[in-house]
Amino acid sequence: MKKLAQIAIAIFFTFLSASAQDSPYQKAMKKEIAKLIESDSLSALQQSANAFGRIAELNPNEWQPAYYQSLAYTFQGLDKSLSIDKKDEVLAKADKLAQKADALSKNNAEIVALQGFVLMAKLNADAASRGQSLSGPVLQTFGKARAMDPKNPRALALTAQMEYGMARFFGSGTEKACGYAKESLAIFASQDEQALKAALSPTWGKALAEKMAKTCQ
Amino acid sequence: MKILLTGLLLLLTYNCIAQTSIHGRVTDQKGNAIPGVNIYLKGTYDGTSSDPDGTFTMETGESGTQTLTVQAIGFRSREITLEIKGQPVTLNIALDEAINQLNAVTISAGAMEAGDEKKSVVLKPLDIVTTSGAMGNITAALLTLPGTSTVGNDGRLFVRGGDASETAIYIDGLQVGNAFGSTTSNVPTRNRFSANLFKGSFFSTGGYSAEYGQALSSALALNTLDLPLRNQGDVSIMSLGGGYTQTLVRNDRALTASANYYNLAPYQSLVKQNFDWEKAPSSWDSEVSLRQKWGNAVTGKAGFIKAYFHTEGSNMAIWQKIPGNDGRGDRVKLNNHYNYGNVSFRHSGGKGWLFYGGAALSDNRDAIQFNTDDIKQVNRIFHAKIVAVRDFSSQFSVKNGLEYYAKSYSETLSNQNQTRQFYDNLFNHFVEATYYFSNRLIIVGGLRSGHGTLAKQTWLTPRFSVAYKLNNQGQFSFAAGKFKQLAEEKLRIYQTDLKNSAATHYILNYFIVNNNRTFRAEAFYKNYDKLFTFKGLASTPKNIALNGSGYAKGVDFFLRDKKTVKDTDFWITYSFVDSKRKFAAYETKVQPAFAPKHNGSVVVKHFVTAMKSLLGTSWSWNSGYTYNDPNLPGEMQRKTKAYSDLSLSISYLPKPNVILHVACSNVLGRQNVFGYQYASQPDEEGSYAGKPVGQGAKRFLFAGLFITLSKDKKANQLNNL
Repeated sequence: MKKLAQIAIAIFFTFLSASAQDSPYQKAMKKEIAKLIESDSLSALQQSANAFGRIAELNPNEWQPAYYQSLAYTFQGLDKSLSIDKKDEVLAKADKLAQKADALSKNNAEIVALQGFVLMAKLNADAASRGQSLSGPVLQTFGKARAMDPKNPRALALTAQMEYGMARFFGSGTEKACGYAKESLAIFASQDEQALKAALSPTWGKALAEKMAKTCQ
Repeated sequence: MKILLTGLLLLLTYNCIAQTSIHGRVTDQKGNAIPGVNIYLKGTYDGTSSDPDGTFTMETGESGTQTLTVQAIGFRSREITLEIKGQPVTLNIALDEAINQLNAVTISAGAMEAGDEKKSVVLKPLDIVTTSGAMGNITAALLTLPGTSTVGNDGRLFVRGGDASETAIYIDGLQVGNAFGSTTSNVPTRNRFSANLFKGSFFSTGGYSAEYGQALSSALALNTLDLPLRNQGDVSIMSLGGGYTQTLVRNDRALTASANYYNLAPYQSLVKQNFDWEKAPSSWDSEVSLRQKWGNAVTGKAGFIKAYFHTEGSNMAIWQKIPGNDGRGDRVKLNNHYNYGNVSFRHSGGKGWLFYGGAALSDNRDAIQFNTDDIKQVNRIFHAKIVAVRDFSSQFSVKNGLEYYAKSYSETLSNQNQTRQFYDNLFNHFVEATYYFSNRLIIVGGLRSGHGTLAKQTWLTPRFSVAYKLNNQGQFSFAAGKFKQLAEEKLRIYQTDLKNSAATHYILNYFIVNNNRTFRAEAFYKNYDKLFTFKGLASTPKNIALNGSGYAKGVDFFLRDKKTVKDTDFWITYSFVDSKRKFAAYETKVQPAFAPKHNGSVVVKHFVTAMKSLLGTSWSWNSGYTYNDPNLPGEMQRKTKAYSDLSLSISYLPKPNVILHVACSNVLGRQNVFGYQYASQPDEEGSYAGKPVGQGAKRFLFAGLFITLSKDKKANQLNNL
């Protein structure tokens, strides 16, 4: 009888832990986020964008699927093998998805930083002719993200990259850019990555911050 | 028992892996594989992406009737109903191409766009300010484009054998009257509006949309900036004057106010002038613009309203020599006051609807003193417009618009106590349908109708264009249309019931943009009918009628290359125009003075990072202007020597927010001649004395310092120059 009770309790706990486990949404998101970070080819990025698109369809009120789908397209838009037309096509998609995420989650620094990232990718697609008209809006969007969350490491790392490029172009000092890179790196180091991952929050960008910090040395 | 257990186990196993496999291949309608297609069962997490060869395989635990969704960028999505009964499903799916406005063919016949986003552009907004020799004048920058002719003693836009009044100018879709500053004869003018106001422009040298009317040759549509980036102040200190602009931005609204003052007197006291100025030109202007945005682009209902007001005043006094007369000549004093205001809106209403329109008023007042005669001229144009566009699908849209113009003009001769004036009303409707057969083929058809109360005339002008994109990104377009225009106010005042002059355009264009190189070639034929004619002098015309006619035909080429030479951007233009017309006081068909046969220009910009400078040069050339020599029989028998002007400029950016710009036109000091003026009476020997019409000065030197002040210390301050 005692044994039976033990079994019952065990079963109860099994159930309990099972219900504390991830929902299908979280499970799918975690799997796809991990995949996206590993993606190193256009086709892998497209698969990733498709997967987030499927998740978004089932979870229309969550901002993260649209965010990551947009991110997957933005990464494609930075691929050097694509023509300007093709880059513009995927970045237009990325832009639309970032807007969708923004509509679902207002005043979200992560999403505003992503919007800046999409703009920056657009600039990079044809820097010679878009540099002058887009550098202002890119910096302004990153500035907006930093104002919403001064500790957002992605907004800081992306600002560092943009400022660095502009400083080189104008032949001025890179101190400001490097300051942002250092700040970003420190925040990345202090963050609990596992907790963020569990909350499906963005964790990417550390490599960029490291690269920028290294360039600054 | 054992068998039962095994059976149960099997059943369980089967149940666990009761997965149905769906596989197949996705292609376009021609059978080419589409990679990266998103294929999934609607309402489930089951899905996959197609491989580079278009094949896909997926497993699903679902059963029964399911919907398979197939999505790919550049194609129309499809939904396929499936019956899943445990058997593997094989599918071959062909997708239809979607119309993609980003990459689809565009009508490029006659059109030259300046913008940041679109593909079919030939200029960036920035080019207008950085083109050497343009000196920030929009018109001067456009004169480096094909189809235009530089007429150095006028300064306005002359397009393909048409005179300057044949170009209509719009700001945010609303017409601008007297867009060029008032001036005296043979003293070139400039566009009144600062290039920094605009985010882009659409310049058409023919065959334009039914949206534009009352222009025989050309339409120039300028679009003002949307929301500025940040609060900032812009200071300009120039050799000719100075100005200040303040921009305030808050969320979805912005206010910009500016004031400028120019005076050429100090400059003219330092540099020798060919013109005999009594008082050098001076002017002031002030502008206010307001912008408000609303709605949310994602939900589809969003809009923009803009208001823009411009006011300016200018004056000058000049002595103009009379051929065959040794005196100082005629004294002309000009006082101009000009106001322009417009309010425009744009609203996307969802469900494929777009509305735009607005109203504008131009008011130009000239007070002219010609020796002892006082003349006052007041020209007013009111324009209201409302347009609805409906996208019925991504392939088909229809535009419908209504326009109303009220025009008034009055001329007062104070000495004679005489006033003449007229009031005219024009009503227009236009409709235009656009159909994309595919991303490669587009057809646009339009019809513009109009009615003028003073001319008591109703007219219909059809327009048509088609474009086809080739495999190599290049595209051919063809455009044709009829265009009507009433004569200029200064002539209509003598005969107010004059009806429309007419032109017919046929344009064939080839256009290709590839890898930072743009090439454009265009052939055109333009037929003029019912051009106005008169007897006697232009200042006192008699027997005004519409008995003239003529033609203009030719080809032009444009090549722009930002790639071949590092950090260098250059363009080369050549335009050939063969034009003859019977108009004004001419009795036969003549080549007009404003239509040189061969026209060319070369513009080069080179960025030197080490010097933080943009170096620019531009050269413009034409084969000479025809003129009439009364000492010879016939009309327009002679031609000036070729025109040539080489200018240089440098923009130095010591800091991102400071720009020093120095420019010099006609550095070679060539004595260009734009024509000859002759005495109205022969001298004792029976010949008419003549004198060349030349440049105001050998060279023109400009220096300016532009500083942007902004509180946003963290952001770099990139100026819009």
